[in-house]
Amino acid sequence: MSLLAKGILKGMAVTAKNFFQSYYRKERLPTVQYPEEKSTITPFTRNFPFLLYDGDDAVDGMRCTACTLCERACPPQCIYIIKDKDEKGKPILRPRIFDIDTSVCMSCQLCVEVCPYEAIRMDSAFELSNENRFEGLLINRGDLLKSNDYYHALNPVEARETDDRIAAKNALAEAKKKARQKKTRLAAAKAKRPPSRLKKSPPAREKPPQPEKSE
Amino acid sequence: MNNFFDLKLVELGRWIEAFFADFPSLKLVVHLLLCTLPLALSFMGAFAFTTWLERKGLARIQNRPGPNRVGIFGLLQPIADGIKMLIKEDIVPERSDKLFHFLAPIMLMIPALIGVGFLPLGDGLHALPLDSAIIFFFAISSLNTIAVFMAGWSSRNKYSLLGGMRAVAQMISYEIPLVLSAVAVIMIAGSLNAQEVVASQQISSWVGSGNILQEFFGRILGWNVFKPWGFAGFIFFFVAALAEANRSPFDLPEADSEIIAGHLTEYSGFKYAIFFMGEYISAFAIAGIGVTLFLGGWNGPVFSGLPWFVLKLFSLFAVMIWIRGTLPRLRVDQLMGYAWKFLFPLAILNIFLAGFYHFIERQWGTAIAMLAGWILGFGALQLAATALSRLNQSPIMRSKRVYQLVE
Amino acid sequence: MNIAFYLLALVAVLGAGLAITLRNVVHAVFSVLLFFSALAGLFLLMLAEFIAAVQVLVYIGSVGILMLFAIMLTTNVMGDPNRPVRSRGWVWGGLAVIALLAGVLLPLISRTGGQTPTPLSDFNPSVKQLGMVLMDPYFASVGVIALLLTAGLIGAVVAATGASEADQKKTVPANRPNYPNT
Repeated sequence: MSLLAKGILKGMAVTAKNFFQSYYRKERLPTVQYPEEKSTITPFTRNFPFLLYDGDDAVDGMRCTACTLCERACPPQCIYIIKDKDEKGKPILRPRIFDIDTSVCMSCQLCVEVCPYEAIRMDSAFELSNENRFEGLLINRGDLLKSNDYYHALNPVEARETDDRIAAKNALAEAKKKARQKKTRLAAAKAKRPPSRLKKSPPAREKPPQPEKSE
Repeated sequence: MNNFFDLKLVELGRWIEAFFADFPSLKLVVHLLLCTLPLALSFMGAFAFTTWLERKGLARIQNRPGPNRVGIFGLLQPIADGIKMLIKEDIVPERSDKLFHFLAPIMLMIPALIGVGFLPLGDGLHALPLDSAIIFFFAISSLNTIAVFMAGWSSRNKYSLLGGMRAVAQMISYEIPLVLSAVAVIMIAGSLNAQEVVASQQISSWVGSGNILQEFFGRILGWNVFKPWGFAGFIFFFVAALAEANRSPFDLPEADSEIIAGHLTEYSGFKYAIFFMGEYISAFAIAGIGVTLFLGGWNGPVFSGLPWFVLKLFSLFAVMIWIRGTLPRLRVDQLMGYAWKFLFPLAILNIFLAGFYHFIERQWGTAIAMLAGWILGFGALQLAATALSRLNQSPIMRSKRVYQLVE
Repeated sequence: MNIAFYLLALVAVLGAGLAITLRNVVHAVFSVLLFFSALAGLFLLMLAEFIAAVQVLVYIGSVGILMLFAIMLTTNVMGDPNRPVRSRGWVWGGLAVIALLAGVLLPLISRTGGQTPTPLSDFNPSVKQLGMVLMDPYFASVGVIALLLTAGLIGAVVAATGASEADQKKTVPANRPNYPNT
C-alpha cells in the first residue's frame, strides 16, 4: 500500500468527472422528468393489447370475430369474450363483451401471435394506472378499440405489413371466389347434376367474414 | 476589512444584552442563550442544508438530478422530510428497553451540540472558550459511542446489537489515530486552547507587515496542511474522522445493505430524525475541529473569520460526500486492521516527524525544514507505510495466488 | 455555584447508589456512567477543566465502554432472579463503610472548623501549568507510570495473540484461494 492511495484517487477522479459532466453533457444526465416530459418510445415497445377496427365506426369495422382464440391462448387468462347476438338471437361474428384485465395481463403478446384476423395488437401506452383498482383496471371493448390510423401512427412499419397481408389475403379470397363462381357457372351451364356439389361446398360458410374485412 | 463579520456579530450580541443591563440575573440568562441558541440553530440549519447538498451531490455523481420537486432545485426538500418525519408513527419495539430506546437519540444529540460549542467559529465567536477545549472536544465526542450502544442494545434486535457492537469497536479504535494526529498539532502550537491553535497557523511576521501580498499569503501558507507533518496528519485525521462520524466508507455500524442500518433499525419517525441530525452534527463538529487543527481555523485572507470557517467546513463536508459517492464499504476485519496496524503506527511516527520538523525549523529556518520535511519526512512515512502493509499481510496473502476454479 | 454543587452531588450519589442496587447489569453500568459524568461536572465547578476532560475521556469514554463491551456479550443481563441483589451481611458492610468515612472525613472537617477556606492567591488553573508540573518535578513518576502501562499493553497483546498465531499457521492450507488484504 502506498501512502498516495492511487486507486482511491483514481476512483475519486471518475466520480468527479461524472459529477461535473452531468451539468453539461446530455449522456451524463439521462433522467427524463416523467410527468412533464416523456421519453420517446420505440415503435416496438409492447405493453398492453388493443383491438383494431377499420373505417370510421368502431363497432361495425371491428376486425375481431369473437373466435376466442386469444382468450384460450392467454396464459394468465385475462381476456374475457362473449359473442354478440342480434334481436332474433342469431349469433353475430363479433364480441359483445371483450374485457382485458390490466392487472393480470403480462404483456406476453401471445394473443397477437394467435389472432388469425390481425384484430389484436400490442399498444405502447404505459399510463394505465387508475384510482379504482377493480373496475378501473378492467378495460372493456369500447376503450380497447382503436382505429387502424392509430396503429399506423404507433408502428408504421408493422401496420403497413399487416395491411399488405390483409390485402393479399383478400385478393386471394377474391380470386378463389371468382374461380369458384366461374366453376359454379360452368357447372350450372352443364346443368346435369349440380345440386349435390353445391350443398357440400364450404365457401358459403366462409363468405360472411370476408366482406366485413374488405370494408 | 479583517474580522468584519465576527466583530459585527459580537456587537449585535452586546447590543441585545444591553437591553437587559438593569437585570443582572436576566442578563446572564440572555448571555447564555445568545452563546448557545444561535449556535445550535445554525448547526441544525446547516444539517438541513447538508442533507440536501449530500443528496444532490450523490445524485450528480450517479448521473441523476436528485431532489428537484420541492422548491427551486429541491431546496425545500429538508423541510418536507422534516414534516414527514414528524407526522410518522413512532414505533417502539414491544420487548425493547423503553427508557434507553427513548434516551439514545438524546444522548447522541447532546454531545454533538456540546462538541460544536468547542469550535472557534471566528474571532470572539467561541461558545465554550475553555483552556483545554481541544481535549474536551475529543472527550465529548467519545460519548457518541455510548449513544449508539444504547440504541443498539435497547432495540432488542440482532441487527441493532450487531450495529452497536460494530460502532463501539470502530469508534474506540479510530479515536486513537484521531487524537494522535491531533497531538502533533497541539505539540507544535503549544496549547490545547482552540483559539491559540488557530492563532499559531498564520505567519505572524507577515500578517502585520502591511504588504498586501504578505498579508494575503501570511494567512494561508501558515496552515498546518501546508507543512509536511501537517499534511500527513491531516490525512490521518480525516480518515479517522470519517470512521468516527460513521461515514462512508466506514459506515459499518449502519451498513444498510448487510445489517439494515444497524442501531437505527428499530427507530422511526422523529427519533430517527434526531438520530440522523445528531450524527450529522457530530460529523460537522469533527470536520470543524479538523478545520481548526489543520486548515487554519477561521484564518483566511481578505475577510478572515466566520465566512472562512463556514467555507472550509462545507468544503471538507463536500469531500466527505464525494468520498461517500466513490468508495465502497470496508469489511469489518479490514476496518480494525487499518486502524490498529496502519493508521496508529503512522500517526505515532508523524508525531516524531513533527518534533523533528519543529527542531530543524528553529535551528536552520523554515526553508530547510520544509525541504527536509517534504523529502525526508515523506520518505520515512512512505517507508513505514510500505513496511507496515508488508507486515500486515497475512501468510495467505504473501503466498502465490492459486485459482482453483480457473484451471 | 452552591446549587450546582448540590445538584451534581445528588446525581453522583444517585448514580452510585443505583449502580449497586439495579438488577439489570446494563442499567447498572449506565448509572456508573451517570456517576462519572456528575464527577466530571464537579471537577468543572472547581475549574479543573483538564481533569474534567480526562474524567470524561478516560472514565466514560474508555472504562465505561469497556464495561459495556463485556456486558454486551452476556446473554442474561438480568442475572439469576432467585438470588437477592443485596448480600446477607449488607448492614454490617454499610456500617463499616460509614465508620471508615467518618474516620477519614471527621478529622478533616474538624480541622477546618466549618469555615470557608481562603482562596489561594496564586491559583492558576491553566492546562499549561499542569503540564509544567507534570513534566518538571514529577517527570520521573509520570515516566514510570507510562512505562508500566506500555508494559501492560504489550503483555495484553502477547497474551491475546501468542497462542493463536501458531494455530493459524497450521490451519492455513497451501492452496487456499486468496482473498485480498486479509
